[in-house]
This record gives sequence, C-alpha cells and structure tokens, in this order.
Amino acid sequence: MNYVKCFSVFLISVSIITGIAIPMVPQPQGWLEFPIIPGLEDKARNIFFHVPVAWTSVLGFLVALFFGYKYLRTKNLDYDMKSVTSAGLGLMFCILATVTGSIWAKFNWGSFWNWDPRETSIFILLLIYGAYFALRSAIDSDEIRARLSAVYSILAGLTAPFFIFIMPRIVGGLHPGAKGDTAGSTPVAQLHMPTNMRIVFFMSIIGFSLLFVWLFKLRIRAAQLENHLSNKEN
Amino acid sequence: MYELLNQNQLFIVLTVILTIWFGIIWYLARLEKKIKKLESHIKKVD
Repeated sequence: MNYVKCFSVFLISVSIITGIAIPMVPQPQGWLEFPIIPGLEDKARNIFFHVPVAWTSVLGFLVALFFGYKYLRTKNLDYDMKSVTSAGLGLMFCILATVTGSIWAKFNWGSFWNWDPRETSIFILLLIYGAYFALRSAIDSDEIRARLSAVYSILAGLTAPFFIFIMPRIVGGLHPGAKGDTAGSTPVAQLHMPTNMRIVFFMSIIGFSLLFVWLFKLRIRAAQLENHLSNKEN
Repeated sequence: MYELLNQNQLFIVLTVILTIWFGIIWYLARLEKKIKKLESHIKKVD
C-alpha cells in the first residue's frame, strides 16, 4: 500500500510541475518544450488534469459496478460497502471533472456552461449517481438497500462509459473530439500528442488512478471501523 | 509588483496548485495515521 501512496504522490506532483512549468512554443526544440496546439494554446495544459480526473471517475463507477455484481452473487455486505465507497469517490472525481471542464470552457468557449453534448452527458451522469445516493438514503433495511443499490450501480456503471466516451463523439459539439471537429485541437482528443506531452499525460492518468486506490482503501478502513463501533454499541 | 506577477503567471498558478496538492497529501496522511491508531486501539481492547 505504501508503494501506491508514494507512486501516486510522485506521479501527480511531477505531472503538476511539468504540465504547468514547461513552456509552450510554436517550434519545440527539445524535451522541455511543448508545441502550441492551435485553438487551445496555453489552456491545453488542463488536459493533464481534466482528462485524468474524468478517467478516474469512470474507474470509480466501474469498480462500483464490479462490487455491486459481487454483492448480488455472494450477499456479503462488505461488497456493498465497497460498491458505495467506490461510487462516492467516482462522484467526487466526476464533480472535479465538471469543475475543471467548466473553467476550461469559460476560457475557451466564453462561458462556464454551454450545454455542449459532453457537458450534458456529464450532467446526466451526476444526476444518475446523485439519485443513487438518494435511493440509498431512502431505504432503512440493510439487505434491501444493498440489493437495490447493487442493481442500480450495475445499470449506472454500464451507462458511464457510454456517457463519457461514446455519446460526445457521435454528436457534434464544441468539445475537442466531437463529431465534425476539424480544429487543431483534434490531435489532443485523439491522443496524437508529442511524446513528451503523452508521457506527462499518462503519468497523470496512472497517478490519479493510484490516488483513487489510496482513497478507496482509506475509506474502506474508516467504514469498517464505523461498522465495528456501531455493532459494539448495539 | 504587478509586472512581476504578470510575467510569472504560470509559476504563481504552479505554486498555488502545489500548495493545495501538498495540503491534500498532508490531510490524507494525517487521516491514515488516525485510522491506524484507532485500529490498533480496537485490536488491543478486543
């Protein structure tokens, strides 16, 4: 577990430093220069944070789906705890992706929210997982709550990759990578970046995924302690 | 001063983000320490 922590801190710190400090120039001459991406310019640096955070939210939703499925097979409430913990972290990263995306949209498209297909799809995803937590809080029985939310997390988890990866690519919009996007920002959306940018990008993706693992383990341990203490009280 | 800030915008952003990031790490490390302490306390009591 210590390796996960150390690697996560190291990789994210290096991505922050290199992603922000390396200058963007029209004709890069070496490893310590990024090219200017037409249409995005300096704002392209947000790709090192916005995309990994969005990826980690999908990871959280897929892990919630996996543990939901495990709960339905075994009826072990520990899996329900893991599923809800993962969905909670997924929602947190989804909110972070929305915030970083909105800030990017303000400087690129002129306003924080434009109802672009990508923005709409992430908004629907937030609603879906908001409803998941509302559903859980409305049921008193542990078993019924666990069963219903396991089924819900499987259905919701299946929609997450569609809303994040597929839907925004089949509909035209402002976001890089949308259908009909012919601007210079397309290479970023299709990951045709120069090698040095790609290294920073994937370091950030791995760093955020490891951060998710660290947070997940931490929350599971806290939830186990809480269960232990409440069992003792009863 | 204004000129200095204007010329080093990226480094100001970097400093702010690194401060927030290290704050989060410090908070998580402290939280983990507390959880570990509670776990060992419960183990002893049990």
